[in-house]
Amino acid sequence: MKTILLADMDAFFASVEQRCNPALRGKPIGVTGPAHRSVITTASYEARRFGVKTGMSIREAKALCPQLILVTGDNDKYTHICTALKEVYLSFTPVVEVYSIDEAFLDITGSSHLFGGPIETGRRLKAEIQRRFGISATIGIGPNRLLAKLASDISKPDGLRLIEASEAGPLLKDLPPEKLWGIGAKTAEKLKRLGIRTCGELASAPAGLLRSCFGVMGERLRALGMGVDSTPLHADQEEEGGPGGTKSIGHSTTLPHDLFRRSEMAHWILRLSEKVGSRARRHGLTGRTVTLIMRYRSFETFERRRGLGAATNDTHTIFRTAMDILSSTRLKEPVRLLGVTLCGIEQADTQLALFGGEDRRAGLLRVMDMLNMKYGPSTLTWAACKGESPHRGIISPAWRPSGAHRSL
Amino acid sequence: MNVVISRDELQKRLADIQSVVDKKTTMPILGHFLLSAGESPSVSATDLETAIKEPVTLEEVREGGNLCIPARKLYEIVREVEGDIVMESEGTEWLRLKAGRSSFRLACMNPEDFPKWPALSDKVVMEIEASRLLGMIEKTLYSAGESDSRYTLNSLLFHIKPEEKTLTVVGTDGHRLSAVKDTIGVDAGEEMKVIVPRKSASELRKFLSQEEGGIRMDIAANHVAFHVGEVQFLVRLIEGTYPNYEQVIPKGNDKILGISREEFIKSLRRVSVISRDHSNAVKIDVSPGRLTITASNPDIGEAMDEIGIEYDGVEITLGFNARYLLDALNALSAERVIFELQEPLSTTLMREEGDENYQCVIMPMRM
Repeated sequence: MKTILLADMDAFFASVEQRCNPALRGKPIGVTGPAHRSVITTASYEARRFGVKTGMSIREAKALCPQLILVTGDNDKYTHICTALKEVYLSFTPVVEVYSIDEAFLDITGSSHLFGGPIETGRRLKAEIQRRFGISATIGIGPNRLLAKLASDISKPDGLRLIEASEAGPLLKDLPPEKLWGIGAKTAEKLKRLGIRTCGELASAPAGLLRSCFGVMGERLRALGMGVDSTPLHADQEEEGGPGGTKSIGHSTTLPHDLFRRSEMAHWILRLSEKVGSRARRHGLTGRTVTLIMRYRSFETFERRRGLGAATNDTHTIFRTAMDILSSTRLKEPVRLLGVTLCGIEQADTQLALFGGEDRRAGLLRVMDMLNMKYGPSTLTWAACKGESPHRGIISPAWRPSGAHRSL
Repeated sequence: MNVVISRDELQKRLADIQSVVDKKTTMPILGHFLLSAGESPSVSATDLETAIKEPVTLEEVREGGNLCIPARKLYEIVREVEGDIVMESEGTEWLRLKAGRSSFRLACMNPEDFPKWPALSDKVVMEIEASRLLGMIEKTLYSAGESDSRYTLNSLLFHIKPEEKTLTVVGTDGHRLSAVKDTIGVDAGEEMKVIVPRKSASELRKFLSQEEGGIRMDIAANHVAFHVGEVQFLVRLIEGTYPNYEQVIPKGNDKILGISREEFIKSLRRVSVISRDHSNAVKIDVSPGRLTITASNPDIGEAMDEIGIEYDGVEITLGFNARYLLDALNALSAERVIFELQEPLSTTLMREEGDENYQCVIMPMRM
């Protein structure tokens, strides 16, 4: 039997902002993305008491809680803390899966005895996070990810809870299925139509019925209802680098205004190309295909791809290819989102070039990457990208500190 | 037009032009060839990059004229029919074809629309034996680029130095390069660099291999015409600047290895079994009297092979793409090759023992 621990930061973005600015502590605050198109990405617990939730528009939130203080998110701060948190996790166990920017699973099966057992490990981890970052975390511990997540969910905020395998049955018996991690509203709705309203009923439902209704997922749903989940942890080391782990490297951004003119989209595409290129270079990877993703004002989303003669991670080549795709696309409507993805990922070639031109550019990019690594993103960048702060967009909840396909 | 032609003659001429006829073209006329039944009957075909014109022997010309005939379809028909073929035009739109008891009617295009054969003005004339030019193309084509965005690399460079009476043919894909020099007959003029598309050079080999004597090259500003026997092979030159190849051929490499070509090839092939699925990187360790080749692939395993060499200098280790080494070794033909090295990351040179005219340059990999 394994022991899995989930560390989940409480209202992460809001806690970080309150930690950094004492004036915000104890007050209802809402962290937002940039400017007027944004939504609440995180609300502090003080604001949640008024009903403010993630995903609400600013107007909705203000209607519920007029004294709500809005803070524009600072993604650099969050990614920095997330990366530092991983260091803390690694001091408890080597098997860590940073699941999202504010959640991480730790496999403490083999190490919890060093800290006085699972509960004591959780207590120490909580204290360490509080001491180093001044933010509170809820710790859920269980024999698998499912129950660790459930333990955390039912004891938030600032909680610590262990669910033993033997407790799972009684605990789940009357729990609605949608409270389980991995069962969404739609699945829950379908289950209701089958007369399954609790996890207990789900666990004892006939396997054949679930299979006929959900296909192969039926078996898994039934297992979830019993509190059984055999999904292994994806420890970060195993996935890092290597063409085996990464299939594509991509970035997308919602534009501050819908754009129709290609010339106005160019600098956004350059910025995205640089993000993709620098990330590929950081992990020593190259790609053979460039994909441009476009979303119209009507939310109709489509992509076009183009192959490259040789695999690349050169920002300029990625940009030029993406622009070629754009210029050969007939736009029907203004575009609200653009994305650039590099696929067909392989290990970067270490073949040296005979003629200077290529190497000079590779050298320039190398120096640029080194400076940006040392002094922060966009310290040295293309003039066309200037005037835009590096992380103005809303950070993806899937942000993780390492691995080519999981970092900014 | 109304002519009689032997089946074998027509089949041979059509076979010659098939590869030049553009199959996937957006211009339908390029899928056709032009049959001229005038004073000197000929067939011609083009894909706008390469054009071929060769004489055709007609058994009987009952009525002269030109016709633009679908090349692929006619070739398929000719392969199936028997006996002499009577070809008769109906206006410019149709060809009526009879052979024995078979008859066909093929839709044709107006010969007036077929691309005109360009007139070459201010041309420089060169002469060389067909077999020697063929050898030069064979020795360099392997290293030319195939779909490089630097389009001048997808070609062979013909560098003519009239004062030396030499022609140097060069191919490079930016990672390796081969250059071969030979003497030619040329009527004075200035130094010239002409860039011949890879596909045209590759196609030209077929005609050169069938010719025993010498050939003539007429070089003009935008075209070069190769007169191979009775066949005229016209190539549109690539405009642009070819990289300065002379600058990258290493001059003073002081670590000189003498290696059996055959042994080196076999050894590289063995180690490539492990390296080829990825970047095909192999590590070469050179020490006095011995060359060791190793490869490792984290997903598969490792390989090591060793051969004896003539060398008494200091030890050096380099990384290479094994395919580049093998391609060069296969293009060379002598029993022993000379491999000239300098630094682990500097340009290397491979050549045949006692031959300075054919040089294979390979850039190492960073290990």
